[in-house]
Amino acid sequence: MAAGPTVKKIMDTYQGKVKLVIKNYPYIYRDYSHIAAEASLAAKDQGKYWEMHDLLLKRSPKLDRDSLIKYAQELGLDLKKFTSSLDEKKHTQEIERDKALAVALDLYNTPTFFVNGRKVVGERPFEYFKKIIDEELR
Amino acid sequence: MKRFIFILLVTLITMSAFAEEKRISVPIGDSPSAGPVNAPVTIIEFLDFQ
Repeated sequence: MAAGPTVKKIMDTYQGKVKLVIKNYPYIYRDYSHIAAEASLAAKDQGKYWEMHDLLLKRSPKLDRDSLIKYAQELGLDLKKFTSSLDEKKHTQEIERDKALAVALDLYNTPTFFVNGRKVVGERPFEYFKKIIDEELR
Repeated sequence: MKRFIFILLVTLITMSAFAEEKRISVPIGDSPSAGPVNAPVTIIEFLDFQ
């Protein structure tokens, strides 16, 4: 799971003041977690990471291979490149690095956030983040 | 020995009290990011799309 609308609202509200960084922490027992992360990074290679990120969150949990290729088509990506990236699991090393980081940080839940290093676990309302961000901006 | 254990306990309790305010440094690397590079606030999100 990921907190799409809340994060979107944060980025809109604090435009220019907040940088958002995504780390993949696909849960190993969910069928499409890994391939969806691969899809997001394959889209990044073609300069459309955020478009794919938003689409994946919108269409989740429909994230099987065929659906992912359809989403790539919707975004106008080069399908041949996208599909081979998926099938070759081109970004597995990068994803595994994120996972290792998550394990090292003892994370057990997604989404987990670090706001200037302050840990926020799970989905929280906008106001919860607002309080922390406003403190950080003070 | 007793005194040592007592000091250890006090230290642990104090540490856990401060743990809430602890800031954790997470390397950004070349992970996908949005917003200005030098933004005053950085949010790192660990997510699972499914």
